[in-house]
Amino acid sequence: MGRPAAAGRTLLPRGSMMEFGLAQLWADGWIYAIARGALVTVAVGICSMVLGLVVGTVCGLIKWQRTLVLSQIVDVYTTVWRGVPELLIIYLLFFGSVEFMARIAAAFGFTNMGGGGYAFAVTVLAIGSISGAYSTEAVRGALAAVPIGHIEAAKALGMPGHRIFRRIIAPQMLRIAFPAINNVWQTTIKDTALVSVVGLQELMRTAFIGAGSTRHPFVFYSVAFVVYLIITLVSQVGFNRVERVLSSDTAKVA
Amino acid sequence: MDLILMAVPVLLKGLVMTLTLTATSVAIGFTLGLGLALMRVSNSAIAERIARYYSIMFRGTPLLVQLFLIYYGLGQFSFVQDSTVLWWVFSEGTRCAVLALALNTAAYTSEILRGGLQSVPVGLVEAASAAGMSRVLRFRRIEFPLAIRQALPAYGNELVLVVKGTSLASTITVLEITGYAKRLMSQTFAILEVFALAGVIYLALNVLLIGLLRLVERRLMRHQQR
Amino acid sequence: MKLKILSLVAVLATSALAAHAEGVLSIGTEGEYPPWSMADADGNVTGFDADVGALLCAKLEMECNFVVQAFDGLIPALNANRFDVIISGMSITAERKNEIAFSVGYAEFPNRFVVSADSGLAGITDIPAFLAALDGRKVGTQAATTHANFIAKLAPNAVLLTYASLDQQWIDLASGRIETAFADATADQDFLDRPEGEGFVMSQVTIPSTYDATLGEGIGVGIRQDDTELKARIDQALCELIADGSIGVASEKWFNVDISRPCQ
Repeated sequence: MGRPAAAGRTLLPRGSMMEFGLAQLWADGWIYAIARGALVTVAVGICSMVLGLVVGTVCGLIKWQRTLVLSQIVDVYTTVWRGVPELLIIYLLFFGSVEFMARIAAAFGFTNMGGGGYAFAVTVLAIGSISGAYSTEAVRGALAAVPIGHIEAAKALGMPGHRIFRRIIAPQMLRIAFPAINNVWQTTIKDTALVSVVGLQELMRTAFIGAGSTRHPFVFYSVAFVVYLIITLVSQVGFNRVERVLSSDTAKVA
Repeated sequence: MDLILMAVPVLLKGLVMTLTLTATSVAIGFTLGLGLALMRVSNSAIAERIARYYSIMFRGTPLLVQLFLIYYGLGQFSFVQDSTVLWWVFSEGTRCAVLALALNTAAYTSEILRGGLQSVPVGLVEAASAAGMSRVLRFRRIEFPLAIRQALPAYGNELVLVVKGTSLASTITVLEITGYAKRLMSQTFAILEVFALAGVIYLALNVLLIGLLRLVERRLMRHQQR
Repeated sequence: MKLKILSLVAVLATSALAAHAEGVLSIGTEGEYPPWSMADADGNVTGFDADVGALLCAKLEMECNFVVQAFDGLIPALNANRFDVIISGMSITAERKNEIAFSVGYAEFPNRFVVSADSGLAGITDIPAFLAALDGRKVGTQAATTHANFIAKLAPNAVLLTYASLDQQWIDLASGRIETAFADATADQDFLDRPEGEGFVMSQVTIPSTYDATLGEGIGVGIRQDDTELKARIDQALCELIADGSIGVASEKWFNVDISRPCQ
């Protein structure tokens, strides 16, 4: 304790290029805070992506089948969610409709609204809904790209609808949608940086607080930059590997 | 109703700034992106690599981090503050926002244009060379127009992303639509109404932009058919 | 990896449950406003606000749990039930009272500008003259604060730039992006005591909270409007803490002056 005003504060980079403040990263445990933040970012990213894929698959199917009314609702959702800045959506969802959010959070098991859990849930809902809007388009696009002849042939053979979907549509759709889903993932993980407004201690928020309290914004934002880059590059490698497996599968089938 | 009457003029003031940010950063970003795309398809391995790494770096990190790194990170260094030219750029949130947005969109633009350039049939280029066209003329008359036509739909999406990206400028003191919306929120606490209004303005802007691009696309296609 | 994420989610979920266990007071604070509220790498909060919170919790026989939230989101987050009270050097103002309730005021501070020592603003001693001199100048304040509202109302021709955190405001003052910054004198002093505060001085003019309604009626604890029972308990506890000098001691510790004010 004591007065932190004197301790733990160093010169600004201003005037002396020697003092970059890299030592600060180790000194006050910030490097662990950054690592924790990165873990939260990845967790938020994965949960939001999964939620987005569920939303995207349902909405994509609705759009593809052109179900009346429902399809129009989905249209409004994807148009608005893709046409309005993510920052605004996050603000709206977090601060805008308290009652609504409370109910949603309760549905996810967060009846006690406080601490990090609620912020986590709201974040996943906000980022997931944005991710879902883009996934919807990816799924719809992939469904539209499945050759209509295949479906007609399956129908002619008397295959029931659900089996046509499982055997004919889903496998092809998955392969076609995969590159687009990869893009959605990259966008989703980057969008998580915007949720610092809801107070979740993810990577960007940690860098922000670290930059403020150590007065070394350059170091902290550079570290954040590098960590995001590592996250996107590593996941890219993973996606590429899965994509190769998917395409080799179809090669075998064909 | 009183709130709307009060909020709309303020948000429209922000719209002017949003449009300025978009137009400036798209102009700079497109030029830079075109250069990077040419580097990607060039025969020089070094140029290709630089452009590729640039694209990976700027597409692999959030715009918000880039923005903060430029505004709060680089803006702190004495060599930036002491240089008249650099400080002109870094002393203003607006200019920093344009810089970050332009560098960011350049990376995406370069990928889109590279795709477009690679889609140009080799035969056409060879034919143009055989007809004695110079490299510059060939690029201007054959490769560029064809690449643009191919890239236009994807570039339309990128423009929407730039418009949305300008909202982040509010985090570095720039008063565009989101900046004014946040200020209105802290004055009136009418969160839902203010952000919904701001959202409508963004949506209208983006729908208009997409519509405009469709017109351009149709025009370009008509030209092709003729 | 999957296991790690699952355990992380579990930890987050349980911490959420713990936050509202019986006898826990969940406190929203900014965490970026030295020397009032500062969060470290582990999320621990120190500062005057943290001490007031700790005193209050001890009095109420509750356990404190701090939730860090940017200042401009504190009131919406309180109303979204993210925490039970706000202790973040928040002034009691008429506009805020429309949204939330406040405890009795427990502290009061004067407001001052920080200016470059060689600035023409440094020598002005008269408040209206100072405010008039702000015309066309870039003035920084924190977003959603009484200071921002004050400048917007009383120096409408100044170019007002607002920041999410105080640190960002000081960075921009030090680098020259803004010509002056307006905050409470305690926060100003914290900046001037730092190396980067060199070459800057406090304005001659001191603006008391009583100068204009936008500056509010002292600092209070923010409470949801329907939490009348909690408000009554907090009011009583605060009055006792002010009377026995505890809040004054905390103030001396962080500000070197006693900014506590009598309970009424």
